[in-house]
Amino acid sequence: MLTCESLCKYYQSPKGMVKSLDEINLSVSKGEFLEVRGHSGSGKTTLLLTLGAMMHPTHGKVVFKGTDLYRLNRAKRARVRSSSIGFVFQMFHLIPYLDVVGNVLAGDDGNHSGARSKSEALLQELGLGHRLNHLPNQLSAGEKQRVALARAMVASPDLILADEPTGNLDPENSKEVCRHLKRYQEKGGTVIVVTHGDAVHDFANRTIDLKAGEIISGPLVDHQAGDA
Amino acid sequence: MLPLILREISFRKGHTTIMLCGLISVTALMTAYLSTESAAERETKRVARDLGFNLRILPKQTDMDLYWFQGFSNQTMPEATVERLANYQGVFMTYNHLMASLRQKITMGGGDVILVGVAPTITSPDKKKRPMGFTIKSRTLHLGYQVGQRLGLKSGDTLQLSGHDFKIEKVMVEYGTEEDVYVYGTLKDVQGIAGKPGQINEIKAIDCLCLTADQDPISILRKELEKILPEARVIQDRVQADARARQRQMVQRKFEFLSPFLMVCGAIWVAVLSALNVRERRSEIGIWRALGKGGGFIAGLVIGKAMIIGFFAGFIGFWVGNSMALEVGPSIFQITAKAIKTEWSYLVWSLILTPLLAAAASFIPAMLAVTQDPAETLRES
Repeated sequence: MLTCESLCKYYQSPKGMVKSLDEINLSVSKGEFLEVRGHSGSGKTTLLLTLGAMMHPTHGKVVFKGTDLYRLNRAKRARVRSSSIGFVFQMFHLIPYLDVVGNVLAGDDGNHSGARSKSEALLQELGLGHRLNHLPNQLSAGEKQRVALARAMVASPDLILADEPTGNLDPENSKEVCRHLKRYQEKGGTVIVVTHGDAVHDFANRTIDLKAGEIISGPLVDHQAGDA
Repeated sequence: MLPLILREISFRKGHTTIMLCGLISVTALMTAYLSTESAAERETKRVARDLGFNLRILPKQTDMDLYWFQGFSNQTMPEATVERLANYQGVFMTYNHLMASLRQKITMGGGDVILVGVAPTITSPDKKKRPMGFTIKSRTLHLGYQVGQRLGLKSGDTLQLSGHDFKIEKVMVEYGTEEDVYVYGTLKDVQGIAGKPGQINEIKAIDCLCLTADQDPISILRKELEKILPEARVIQDRVQADARARQRQMVQRKFEFLSPFLMVCGAIWVAVLSALNVRERRSEIGIWRALGKGGGFIAGLVIGKAMIIGFFAGFIGFWVGNSMALEVGPSIFQITAKAIKTEWSYLVWSLILTPLLAAAASFIPAMLAVTQDPAETLRES
């Protein structure tokens, strides 16, 4: 469903050229839960944003559902994101002036009837039924991340890209978020999570390690989380 | 999008209030200024008018040495000349007041006086101005102060001239000018006394060219007058004309400076606040982009907010400005205070122009938001 070939992203810095991604080749199948591990500065977020049609690579291509994303113009890439890709970030990035339902509806691409009832059902499922009309600043970190998850899921995208979704959460909330991502994958969705911790490891069915912009191990390692 | 903008406006109350206050101030000052502008203009015109006529149109053959020496022309021209001048559709047709007169020296009570017959002042039909000077009834006279003293006459007395009785309507106060030896009557009466029916020897006017001496208005006037009144010549009281022109130009320049100044201040205020708002919303803009929203949506959030605040500022600003004008205006423009009234058209303009000003001012911040790289923002935070 998603492949990238010879993906490179270089930055010019005062100290010279920085290779954030260097010749990444990766293939992700539909229904896969991929964990991308790496330390800070390894290029995880850059990879995620590039796969998510948000950041133009220096070289290489990203093919999503048969379409080379970076051959599309900005508007068309935005449409792909809106209809087929959901994002979850470490810092949640909720819209501060929208309540919980409003934030989830912001993720709807407008092509679904009954988006509101779907959002509310999704929030019930994520254990936020009692928080529907609360603003983000009235929520705990775990709740915020679950709202962000609901926002990413509401348009039923083919792919969810999560950047350190458990980075700001305690172990209990981390597991909770991973469980929801896993459930989404089990329903046929594809999930890619980049992380530097271990919380996601048991839920992913494949893990790759990234160092200095290169995949250093296990692109094809396959394992199923037994306790997920 | 509107519910989103309204929620953001109510969420960031501080920012909204500051932007609102800035736009209210601009709209209120503009409204107050414009509301009192007509009063200021009328007051200026009143001051200028009180300076007197600044143009004299005389018969062409007038001996100017003699004219300046005795104070009137020894030649005459037909009374119809003033009608021809009034009906002329040219630059000079922008006149405000025209007054024809016949002046003649006569002896009265052992001394010379200047008998002045004045026709009713002709005012510009499209300007609805009140005629200048005073109205004289037939068979009545207004005596200059010196004449009144010399003849020992007062209001209500009778004076005989050329075998006709004339009632003294009033004895004027001492002006300290040659008018103190003038005797005013109607043009018809004076033409009868002087034996010059249908004749005049001077037309006084106020020109509307409003050019100062360095702009050489007299050449323009003479060129213009040559076409319609070949039998006349024009002279201009440059001191008065200059004072009048300068006074009006000053008022006009003040407005020309103040309006753009207020607009620019308001625009800068909105632009700075919009830019700060965009900066504060970097991560929000990034997430909207990640969610697939386009540049139009992002620009709409910024410009739409400015326009909505501008709409409310237009309404409140009009109300504040109008109240200021009605409250403070009459104490500043005491003579023409009645000219200060609520101008409802300014409300319409406030509701149109204030949002447009806010939109224009927030355009650059909106473009900054649109061109902001969402990946950079999301990667940083």
